[in-house]
Amino acid sequence: MSLLSIRDLHAGYGSADVLHGISMDVDAGQVVVVLGANGAGKTTTMRAIAGLIGRRGTVELDGKPLGKRPEQVVGAGISLVPQGRGTLGQLTVMDNLRVGAALRDDKDGVASDIERWTEVFPVLGRRSHQIAGSLSGGEQQMLAVARALMSRPRLLLCDEPSLGLAPIVVQELFDTLSQINKADGTALLIVEQNAELAMDLADTVYLLDVGTIAATGTPAEFRSDDAVRSAYLGY
Amino acid sequence: MELFLERLITGLTNGSIYALLALALVVVFRGTGTLNFAQGELALFTTFFAWWLTTESIPVWIAIIASLIAGFVLGALIERLLIRPVQRRNDMAVLIVALGLFTGLNSLAGLIWGSETKIMPSPFPNGIDDFVSVGGARLYFDALGVVGALVALMIVLTLLFRYTRVGLHMRAVADNAESATLAGVRTSRILAIGWGLSGAIGALAGVLVTPLSPQQLGLTSMFHVFIAASAAALFGGLDSLTGAVVGGITIGVLEAMLTGYVSFIGGSLQQTSALFIIVAILFLRPNGLFGTKRLVRV
Repeated sequence: MSLLSIRDLHAGYGSADVLHGISMDVDAGQVVVVLGANGAGKTTTMRAIAGLIGRRGTVELDGKPLGKRPEQVVGAGISLVPQGRGTLGQLTVMDNLRVGAALRDDKDGVASDIERWTEVFPVLGRRSHQIAGSLSGGEQQMLAVARALMSRPRLLLCDEPSLGLAPIVVQELFDTLSQINKADGTALLIVEQNAELAMDLADTVYLLDVGTIAATGTPAEFRSDDAVRSAYLGY
Repeated sequence: MELFLERLITGLTNGSIYALLALALVVVFRGTGTLNFAQGELALFTTFFAWWLTTESIPVWIAIIASLIAGFVLGALIERLLIRPVQRRNDMAVLIVALGLFTGLNSLAGLIWGSETKIMPSPFPNGIDDFVSVGGARLYFDALGVVGALVALMIVLTLLFRYTRVGLHMRAVADNAESATLAGVRTSRILAIGWGLSGAIGALAGVLVTPLSPQQLGLTSMFHVFIAASAAALFGGLDSLTGAVVGGITIGVLEAMLTGYVSFIGGSLQQTSALFIIVAILFLRPNGLFGTKRLVRV
């Protein structure tokens, strides 16, 4: 049984739907990558799962319906790293991490998690008392990932994590995400325009096109499918 | 010299009141992003409530605590029932609702308690002899109490924002509501708490200012305090607690000095000095002296 199961999901802004009934599965511990052009509905999918916008259709976690309010989603074990990182710019790095543990009451566990993520991302440890807005783009992205991980999610949603980052920083970030996935079994659902890099990580790839799923398969299948490759991967 | 000291003390006392109400404005602004025009009238309403309790022979300290609780509940209810439903539309609607509340609360206070001036008893000893002499100037205990209340409140707020989870969440929501929401912060509850807190702070300002004010407690008692407090909050950049306090004290002292030493201003043009300060700040430094570079959404 899949960890996250999405069936016939509709969502959008105002009266206009952006997603026209998409279905998708993420298995426990899996890495799923969603590709698609600008405006395909990738961010809308993420925001609909996270409860930031309304949705129709079925979204289940472990076979149980997922709540529609953001705190219910976080509480159930799904955490979103939003596009643009959502840094709490006036707060310190440490406070950003503590906000990430908003729903947790185990003080010791929170403290040890902060210690852990500041070791995984040493720059956050070095700058823990600095205002988060003063970090570089790459550092803010790491902070956003660490903040999302502070809720101990079973599924981490990452919306365009590579946006605006230097290639070497992106590589480092994806390596870390992959390590977390392997070490903790945290499933990843990653939306990316940087198709090649994301596919290296993926177990399953979905291709989103104008609000519907246009194709699905393994990275190998995607790379060998000439039509898909030329249309969406650009080589 | 004595005269100067007395004016300074008056300025500090009035400034502390402005600072208190400015703090209330800042707490709401940080959460909701708008200036709460009804803040002064909310304080007026709770002060009438405290006065009414004292006429029912309830001790003044208990009446004050009750008015703080009433301020909290009223503030939280206003956020939940009036502000939140319209905020989804736009910020301008919030301003209009606040303006409506301004007149509504004032009329309601008049309707319930009448328009004649009341005498709100002071929680501090305020007889003619209750003062200490400092360099020949008289430092009255009730004025001292107001400054003390401001210092105490600053300490409480600093502890709240820096060391408690609710405070952390309030800062997070003020900084980036969506990120806070994504982390699981119950944003709507935090906003209601913010409005409640500012209602309670305003209530404190109200019960402290009215016994000192020459106008005592009437339906217009809070007008000038609110205008000066807005100027103070603006001076500090609308989102800085320290800025609000510095702004309040500065405006209080400036006002006392201007009315004391500049003869043509005198008593009647006093209110104009706050207005002058507002215009000067908006002109010279739209973000205030302590404000962050975020735009003012009023």
